[in-house]
Formats: sequence, structure tokens, C-alpha cells
Amino acid sequence: MKAIRLLSIHALVLLIILALSAGCVVREVVVTPTPGPTDTQSPATTATSTSPAATAETPDTGDPLEEHIYQLGITSDLTTTNYWAYLGPDGTVWNQYALTGTKPTLYSYSDQRFDWVPSLAADFPSPLQEETVGDETLWSTEVELKQGVKWSDGNDVTADDFVFTAQTAKELQLTGNWPSIVDPEFYDHSEALDPHTLKIYFSKKPGLARWQFGMAFMPIFPKAYWEPVVAEAKQAIGVTEQQKVLYAHVPDGEPSAGGFVFDRWEQGAFAEKDRNGDFYFTGSVVTQYAGGAYAEAKPGAYEFSAYGEPGGETTLEYTVGPYAASVIYSVYGSQDAAVLALRKGDIDYMLNPLGLSQGLQDQLRGEEGLTTIENANSGVRYLGFNTRKAPMDNKAFRQAVATLIDKEFLTQTVLQGVAIPVYTMVPEGNQAWHNADVPMIGRGMTRGERVDRAVALLKEAGFTWEVEPRMSEDGNFMEQRGKGLMMPNGEPVPSISLLAPSAGYDPLRSTFAIWIERWLNELGIPLRADLTGFNLIVDKVFTQQDFDMWILGWGLSIFPDYLESFFHSRYSELEGRNAGGYSNPEYDRLADELLATTDPEEARQQVFQMQEFLADDLPYVVLFTTPVVETYRSDRLVFPYTTTLGGLQAAAGMPAIVNFK
Amino acid sequence: MIAYLVRRLWQMALTLFLILTVTFLLVQAQPGDYASFYALNPDLPPDVREQIKATFGLDRPLWQQYLIHMRNALTGDFGVSFGHFPRPVLDVLAERLPRTIVLFVSATAASFYIGFLLGKAIAWRRGGILEYAATISGATLFTMFTPAFALMMIWIFAFRLGWFPVGKFLDPLVWRDTEVAANTVFSLMLITAAVFTTFALWIAFTIGRTQRAGVRRLAAPVVLAGALVVPIVWAMSGIGFLALDILRHMVLPIATLTLISFAGTMLLTRNSMLETIREDYVTAARAKGLPDKQVRDRHAARNALLPVVTSLVYSLIFAIDGSVIVESIFSWPGTGMTLLEAVRSEDLPLVMGAIVFIGLMSLLAHLIVDMLYAFLDPRIRYR
Repeated sequence: MKAIRLLSIHALVLLIILALSAGCVVREVVVTPTPGPTDTQSPATTATSTSPAATAETPDTGDPLEEHIYQLGITSDLTTTNYWAYLGPDGTVWNQYALTGTKPTLYSYSDQRFDWVPSLAADFPSPLQEETVGDETLWSTEVELKQGVKWSDGNDVTADDFVFTAQTAKELQLTGNWPSIVDPEFYDHSEALDPHTLKIYFSKKPGLARWQFGMAFMPIFPKAYWEPVVAEAKQAIGVTEQQKVLYAHVPDGEPSAGGFVFDRWEQGAFAEKDRNGDFYFTGSVVTQYAGGAYAEAKPGAYEFSAYGEPGGETTLEYTVGPYAASVIYSVYGSQDAAVLALRKGDIDYMLNPLGLSQGLQDQLRGEEGLTTIENANSGVRYLGFNTRKAPMDNKAFRQAVATLIDKEFLTQTVLQGVAIPVYTMVPEGNQAWHNADVPMIGRGMTRGERVDRAVALLKEAGFTWEVEPRMSEDGNFMEQRGKGLMMPNGEPVPSISLLAPSAGYDPLRSTFAIWIERWLNELGIPLRADLTGFNLIVDKVFTQQDFDMWILGWGLSIFPDYLESFFHSRYSELEGRNAGGYSNPEYDRLADELLATTDPEEARQQVFQMQEFLADDLPYVVLFTTPVVETYRSDRLVFPYTTTLGGLQAAAGMPAIVNFK
Repeated sequence: MIAYLVRRLWQMALTLFLILTVTFLLVQAQPGDYASFYALNPDLPPDVREQIKATFGLDRPLWQQYLIHMRNALTGDFGVSFGHFPRPVLDVLAERLPRTIVLFVSATAASFYIGFLLGKAIAWRRGGILEYAATISGATLFTMFTPAFALMMIWIFAFRLGWFPVGKFLDPLVWRDTEVAANTVFSLMLITAAVFTTFALWIAFTIGRTQRAGVRRLAAPVVLAGALVVPIVWAMSGIGFLALDILRHMVLPIATLTLISFAGTMLLTRNSMLETIREDYVTAARAKGLPDKQVRDRHAARNALLPVVTSLVYSLIFAIDGSVIVESIFSWPGTGMTLLEAVRSEDLPLVMGAIVFIGLMSLLAHLIVDMLYAFLDPRIRYR
């Protein structure tokens, strides 16, 4: 009897397993090939054609029946799929990765060199002109748009879409990143002269930062889709409520004019974008030449070239895709999990703004099918001074501190090459704006030379010691530590606090802080490194301005208008960006000129001058930058290039141009 | 009993109020606020930063913010999350909760089941190989560093052997062509589990306790038949493959959680059993000549259950707050990770919402345990 009961139990269990296997078998994934890019049949526009049209290549997708899925790993989930909100209160880098590339912009940066080139615009804009509209004096410019560019729902992308987007941002007073795109201080209004001609009016003459590198990069929204949503938002009472309505809209079915159309967001798991079969730029060939020329062409559609005569050695050439049927952004809980998925082949590449940590790099080194690349970073870490307080208000003191900091020793010997010393606020990776000839205080000096120079600088400025510091004769160690350092007014140098992130947050900056404390103490400067939380430093430095010196970092834009925001004296008030209170009328004049200039070459000269100024005046001692190290599955992916400022992540993994093996 | 309940409810309300106040003050004690993240954008003019603060209500005095959050907590409307602006807090929590419940309740149930079975067995046969093996391995796993053990499990079973996925709760390639949201499947799985458990308990308490031995013997086959219906219904629903995908992703985290925690229940059961087997009624049952298994299961184990059930109820309730470590390592975004992210980014409404929820559930857990004591042990009375 017992045996029969056992048998029946086993039979039932077996039945359950069979039912599970039969009913719940994982469905085979079938990817249906989508039609190729639609031939837009649009007439060629009137762009400056200075060279024979480049031969457009047919996208090489390998086996035509095989549809590739580009799988990317991200380590934090999106918080919205609403592009207005992404540029507003939900401005996370993870949203950026998944959402960018679906909206057209008038202009964009070229690959690698970051030249300013037309995108939706057919050519460069007309020069800014002063004109009277009603009783107002405005500045205006006209932009011709490419014809034949379509949204994925089949509608044309027109000047009306631009006008709608800019007006919405202005009227709803959108916050977050919006004011730096549509600056209400400068933007007045815009008009669609015809579907493909746009006229933009500014209330003040906009410099490069506000127009060419600001509003010209504004993502353009499809008016037909968003107009009812914006109308509903405007019904709400008060701007804050209006913004909430706009940001709360879930944009299901929103058309795209980029290479991909946003398809789905499974919260906490993945987001997916599908290829836009109507992407206008599919098949466009982009060519860059060693001589500086840039050329872009699509047979039967448009040709464009600038920055010289195309010809000679080619530095870059690729055909625009997309070659992937879909892009999937898989969410992982940690970098470790994402790296394992990359090694296992579950993902092709991992997006991360900071790149890979040293430990993960070691794990991936030598792994078959993977390639690790290293690129310059657009950000810097710096030491800032509160120039409102003595002795930090003394230029000689700041120069002495800069002289004592041996960046090469710290980056190469102590930190084993994981960081790169930097001497200017525009890092080397930003080739177009980097000034390599700024004064590099202390560079190449031995320890003894640094101490001697720092002592000399302080003495010249009137500082005195009760016991003067002295190096040993061979220059290897401090024979006599400095004691009783007095300021030029005869008062002792007060105790100085150096706020820096703790090792848990950033071991590199905390290492720098500890060594700076040691070197300055040896000279008799009573400095204490306070390693603390990031939020606390931000609060003390920017909100309260209650500090002496601090170490933090900035992620920097390509166009260095931040040189104005960080160091102009007008921003030295509470919560201003110039937290150190640096004030120099001559520098302010240069910064004002940079904001007003409309000529890129003139701006370049100004930026170079400003860098020289800062490298000598030293409101910041720029310390170092770290390369962005990334790994991708090279047994599967082919990127047209991998050398670029900020790495592949800065281009969101290049979904529209990455090809497959 | 009613007076006791009223007194307990009043104490719960007071405790919740204190929890909320302390949480608010702790979050406020952190330097900066949510708007500080925007303060680092060099392109934002001061008036725009002020507008951002106004959007989040951070421009108001602290006492006003406190009153707003208390009102929100008491009315159940926690406002909108700063980090998911302008998504309501309840919406964010409702999205995360089913995933956490499915994973952690399953793991807790597995851990207690295995722990109870082993604890019962090793207490009954003391000094055997099983006791040494189970105690040493259980204690070793119990004291292991959870992140290292979890990563080791992934390394061996997901990466090297390839038996299971490397974390996450679903495979995008399986789900990308479906219209069904993962939370729908999670919710259906929870409903299924609840229905089946109710059914099994009903069978156990009705057929299983009948005096007629013939009918009583039907209990197990009926429960098994019910278990057979579950996969059939899922298979017919057309989304069974999605549930199976989730189950496949659950194996490794559940195994990890079970392995690191079953020893607690096992040792608790063992200790409790060691006390009960010395009781006179166990000796009497043996003297009556009852089979060994019956004495162990019906007389000793059942009476040793009290502390184990108490512990289980706590664990089940606290399962809703998940585990930051396990959720991070297995890429399982539940309430634990949500709370941590909210605290780190000073997303005050989300922190308050999550704390209220967890606080309420833990207070409820204590109340339920107190009630259970009276139910399981008739000697306990409340006044």
C-alpha cells in the first residue's frame, strides 16, 4: 500500500514537471528582419559642395538575413522616457544613454575632432544681424533645414518643430538643463519662414555658448505629437504644475527622427530601441581629412564639406547605419555583475561614465574576444582656494602650494599611472581648445628644487619663518621642517583645512590630499586634510562658502564656456560657481569677451589666454585627470573609431554607427 | 483582548510617528539636499536654481517641510519622488514591491523549510554524522561574508557552468517581443502562490484533521492535484514562459539566500526540540509504543514550533524591505535598492514612503506574532 502511495506521488510530481516543460518552455526568440532604410528621394540641398561626392557605401550588415541586436549594460535604471523630463529634473547619465539620438538637432559636433557641423541644418547659419522688430532691437539668424528628413510616423521634420520646442521651453520655464539650451536671457522667439527655413531672434547678441554651442544643439521635438500634451500642461495653474504635467506624460509611440525609435522600458530590467527605417542619414558617408577638412554626403540627398578642401590623407571614414535591428539596455545592479555579463557574452559593451575601475580592468585583461580601450577624459580634478581668506588670497602662496605638489610623482609612482597630471582647466583630450603652452608650475622639478622654489616664492611675498625649512644637501629629505610661518602682515598663518573626498568615494583625490598635507606641513604651512563625504564638501564649499581649500572635480563640456562660469567674479556669491571668490577685473573682461564672441577662432584665442591667466593666477591648482578605460566584445562589434574624448560612452556606445562581425 | 489590541494600536501609532520624525531628521541632517545635484551645473543661473528648489518644495522652512511629509504619511499620499520626478512615491514602491516579495518570501520559505527539517532531524538523532555535517556546514555558510558568497555562486553556477543567468530577473531577449509587463507576471505569481497556499492550508485543516483515516489519506493527493493544476493554468495562459524565465532567474538568489540563512532556523529548531523531547508527554508517547516518526513529528516537533513560527513571521514581514546586498549583486531591483538609492540621493518623499511602509509592516509583524503566541500556546493570555 505504501509503495503504491509513493508511486502515485512520484507520478504526480513527474506530471507536474512534464506540464511545466510543455507549457512553459522558453519561447524561441525570433527577430523579424525589418525593411532597409527608405530612400527619401529628396532633392539635393544647397550645401557648399566643394568636392566630388563621396561614394556612399551600402551598410554592411554581414548576412542580410541576420538581424543584430546591440546589447548594452547599464548599472542604473532609467528614471524617465520623457525627453523633456530628461533635460529637466531627470537629467541622469543613464537616461541620456538610452534617450539620446532620437531627436534631431540643427548642428552637432563632428566625431573625434568636435568640429561644429550641420545636422538637420543644410548649411551654416546666416551671420547674426541686428534688426528692429516692433519697438525692440533683436539679433537674428536664419537657418536652412535639410529637406526630406522625416519623423518615424512619416511626417516631415520642419522649422515648426523647432519653433514649438523652443517656445515650449521658454513659456513653461523649463528647468534642469533647459536654461543652458534655451537661455531665457538671450532667446526671444523664432519663426518658421517656410517649412524648411527658420529664423531665430535673440534679445541680446548671443556668443558661441548661447547660440552655436547652446541653442543650435537643442533637441527638436515632434510638434504633432507633443502639441496636445503641452496644451494640456498649459491648462494647469502655475508654472510648476504645468511642468509636472509635461514631465509626467509617458511618451508611448512618440516618433523619432534618429537612428532608433524608443520601443519599451521594462522598469528595473531593460529598455529597448528599434531601428528607425526612415532614418534620413542612413547611408551617409562621413569623411575627415588630416588637413582638417570635414565632408559628409548622401547620394541623391545632400553633400556638405567645411574646414578646408577635402582631400589628402583620410583620418576617418564611415557610413552611417544603424546596422543593429535593436539596441537593448540591460540594467545590472553593480559593475561586477555587468562585467561578468560582458565576459559571458550576455552584453556587447558596458556603458559607464567613469569607465572601468582598476580591479575590473585586471579581471578583463587578456580575456578572449574582448578589447580594452583607453581614452582621455573631459573632466579634471582640482585643488581650489578660498581667495577671500588669507593666506589663500596671496598669489605667491597659491603658487608655492602648486610648486610643492609633485603631480608626476603622485600619478606615476604612488598611483601607478592610473591618473594623468594636468596643468590647465581645458584637458589635453579637448584638442580644439587645449592650450599646451600654459605655465606649468613645478613641472620637472626635483623635490629639493620644489622646496627651494616654494620658499623663495613665499619669502619674496613677505612670508617669514621662525625656523626656515631646509632640504638635505642631496635633496632627498627634509633636513629642517619649517616652523612658525608668518604672513606678510606679521600674523601667523592660521590653521588651514583642506576638504577632500574620502578614500571610499575617491582614493585618488584622498591620496592627493594626504600628500599635499604632508608636503605643506614640511614647509611649515599648518594644513590639515579633512577627508569627508562628497555632499558635505559641496555643501560647505558651494552653499555655505565656509572653507579654506578643497579638492573636487568637474566634468567639462567641449566648448569651454565654463571658464567664465567658474572664475568670473559675478559668480562668487553664495551658491555661485566661483566658490573660491576669485576676482580679477582683467580676467572678468576676457570672460565677458568670450561670452560675446561669435567667431570660433577669436573664441579660441580668448580661451587660450584665459588658460594662461588661470595657470599663473591659480584660483585652482588643476591636479589630474583619469583616462576612461572601457571594454567591448571585439569578436562581435566593429566601431568606426575608438579614440575619442570621454571614450565610447561619451557617444552613448555609438548605436547608429557600430557594425557587427 | 480588545483592550490589549487598542493599547497596542495606540503604541504602534506613537512608534510610527517617532520613526517618521527620526527619519525626517536623519535625512535632513545629511549635508545638502536633492537640489544640490543641480547646483553643480555651471550653466544654471541662481534664479533657475531657486526655481528648482521651489519645484521640489525645498525652498520652504524645515518645519513646513516636516509638516508636509507628516501629512503625506498620514494621508497615504507620499507625494512625488524627486529622483523619478514627477512619479508618485506609491507608484515607485508598487513597482518594486512584487519583485522583492516574490524573491525574498520564496527564499525565506525555502530557508525555513530546510532549516526546520534539518533541525528536527539532528535533534532527534544527536551525535550522528548528519548532525555534525549539518551543523558545521550550516554554521560555516551562516557566517560567510554574503557579498563574497553571492559572487562566488554567480561565478560558479552562472559564469563557469552557465546553468543560470548572471543576475537580473528576466532575460530581455525573451521579453522583448511581448506586451506583458514583468510586474503583471510577478503579481500573477503572487496571486497563484496565495491561492495555492490557501488551498493547501484549507485541505490540511479540513481533510487532514478529519477522524476518518481513509479521508485523511486523501489530503496529500488532493494538494498534489492542486499543484498540478497550477502549471497547467499557467501553460494555458500563454505567459507561462515568462513566469518560467523569472523562476530561472530566481534559482541562484534563492539558493544563495537559503544557504546562508537556513542554519539559523536549523539551530533554533534543534534547540527547541532538545527541550521538548525531554518533556513528559514525549516520554508518554514513546511509552505508548507510537512509531518513532510520529512521536518526533506529531508530539515533539509540533511543540517545538513556537519560536520557529515567531521567527518565520518576522522574516516574512521583513522580507519586504529586501536586502541591498543581495539585490545589488543579483541585479534584482527591489525595495532594498530603492531605499538605499533614495537615501543616497536625498529623495526625501521616497525615503519617507519606504520607511512608513517598512515601519508599518514591522509593527504589524510584532502584533501578529503576539497574536500567534496566544493561538499556538493556549497557556498565553493577553489582558
